[in-house]
Amino acid sequence: MRTLLAAILLLSLPAHAAEYAVVVSSKSTVQSMEIAKIKDIFLKKRSFEGDLRIVPVNPLGNDPARTRFESQVLNMNREEINRYWVNNHFQGVSPPTTQASLQSIKRFIETVDGAIGYLPIDMVDTGLRIVHEY
Amino acid sequence: MRIPGAIVYPCVALALFPASAALAQEPYQLGLGYKLLDEITVGGYLSTEFSRGENLNEVLIEDLAVLTYGNLTDNLSFLLELESVDFYKLDLENDTDSSNTRPAIERLYADYKVSDYASFRVGKQITPIGYWNLQPINVLRETTSNPRLSREMFPKFVTGLSVQGFTPFDETLHYTAYLQNTGDMDAKYINIDVDQHYGLTLEKVLSPQWKMGGSIGKFREKNRNRTQYFQLNTRYDNDRYSFLTEGVVDRHEQWLGGTETSTSVYAQFEYRVVPEHALIARAEAFRDDRVALHEKIGILGYSYRPLFPVSLKLEYQWHADSSNNRLVGSFSILF
Repeated sequence: MRTLLAAILLLSLPAHAAEYAVVVSSKSTVQSMEIAKIKDIFLKKRSFEGDLRIVPVNPLGNDPARTRFESQVLNMNREEINRYWVNNHFQGVSPPTTQASLQSIKRFIETVDGAIGYLPIDMVDTGLRIVHEY
Repeated sequence: MRIPGAIVYPCVALALFPASAALAQEPYQLGLGYKLLDEITVGGYLSTEFSRGENLNEVLIEDLAVLTYGNLTDNLSFLLELESVDFYKLDLENDTDSSNTRPAIERLYADYKVSDYASFRVGKQITPIGYWNLQPINVLRETTSNPRLSREMFPKFVTGLSVQGFTPFDETLHYTAYLQNTGDMDAKYINIDVDQHYGLTLEKVLSPQWKMGGSIGKFREKNRNRTQYFQLNTRYDNDRYSFLTEGVVDRHEQWLGGTETSTSVYAQFEYRVVPEHALIARAEAFRDDRVALHEKIGILGYSYRPLFPVSLKLEYQWHADSSNNRLVGSFSILF
C-alpha cells in the first residue's frame, strides 16, 4: 500500500519543475501570454499586447537562460535563429535588444514600459510578474 | 519610475546601468548589419555572377547595395536601400566591358505601426507577392537565377501606400493591401513601368512547416495597357528540405483593343545535405500569348554556404530552346 501511495505521489509531480520564467513588470497590464505569442514577440512578428507596445529583451551571448529559451520556447536552434535574423535584416527587422547580465535584464523589465524577458525563477520577486514558465 | 516609450530605453539603460549597458550590444555579426546608436542598423550586400552558354561568356558584379533602417519613435520606422545593378560587366565573348556606378533607390519607406492588425507603409517598397519577390537578392535565394514569374508577371515594386497585419478573426491569416497611383519613385531598375497598381495579398500559416497564400491585383502601364493578375503560392519547410511553388495568371487588356493572357508557374525542391550544402531542382513553365512565347526551363543547382550570409552557387539551366542552355555561378554576401 505504501509503495502504491509513493508511486501515485511520484506520478502526480510534474516531470521536471520549471527553472525559468518569462516575465513582465508587476505594474504591467499584461497578465498572461500564450507560448505562440511569446515566440512571435521574440521573433518580432508581433509588437503589441492590447495597446501596449512590447519590448523583448535577451541576455547577451550564450547565457544558459537564453539557450534554454531558444530551444524550449522558440523551438529553434541557434543556427535556425541566425538564418531567421539574416533574412529579416534585409526586411529591415533586427533582433531584440540585449542586456549584459540577468540582473540588468531584471532592472530593464522593471523600468521600461512594455518590456518582456526571461529569468531563472529564483530571481523573480514582487517587482515582476510571471506570464509563462519553462 | 516608469518610463514611457521604447525609443528612450537605450538612454535609460545607459543612465541607469552605464557599465552593463556599455557591454550590452551583441558584437558585429556578418549578415545582421552594423548597429549605430542601438536603434539604427547599416548593412548591404554584394553579388558577383558568371554565365557560360552558346554565344554567352560574361562575368559581372551584379549588385552592390547599402541599406539602413531603424526606429524613429515607438511606432515609426524607416528603411532606405540604394543599389547599383550591373555595377561592372565583362563580356568575354565580345571582349567588351561596361559599368554602372549610379545607385538607384531600390526601397525607401516609412512604417507606422498602429497595432499587430494594422501597420501602414508609405514609399517605395517591394510588392508583397509570393516568396521569390520578397527575397529578391542573390544571397538569400536558393539559386542564382530568378524564375521568370518573378520578373515578368507583376511590378516588382510599389510606390505608394500599403497596410498589413494579422486579421482580427484569424491570427494565422496575414493580409497586405497595397495601392500605387503615381509613377515609380526611381524607375531605373523596375521591370514594368506603371502609374497605377493596387492589390491584396493573403497568407495563411497552416502549421509551423506549411504556408499558403495568394494575391489578386491590377496595374496600368504608362502606355495605358492594363493587366489583372491572380497568383497562388504554397511552401513547405523542415530542417532538411523545402518545397515551394507559385503560379500567376495575367489578363492583359491592350489600350488599342484586344485581350490576351500570360501564365507562369514554377515548382522548386531544395534538399539540404548538411546545413552548408544544398541541392536544388526547379521546373518552370511560362507562356505569353501576346508574343506567342512558350518557354520551359529546368534547373539543377548546388549551393554552398560556409556561413548563412555567404553564398556560393552553381546551376545548369536547360531551356526548351537549347541555344539558351547555360551554366551560371555566383558569389554573394550580405553584411
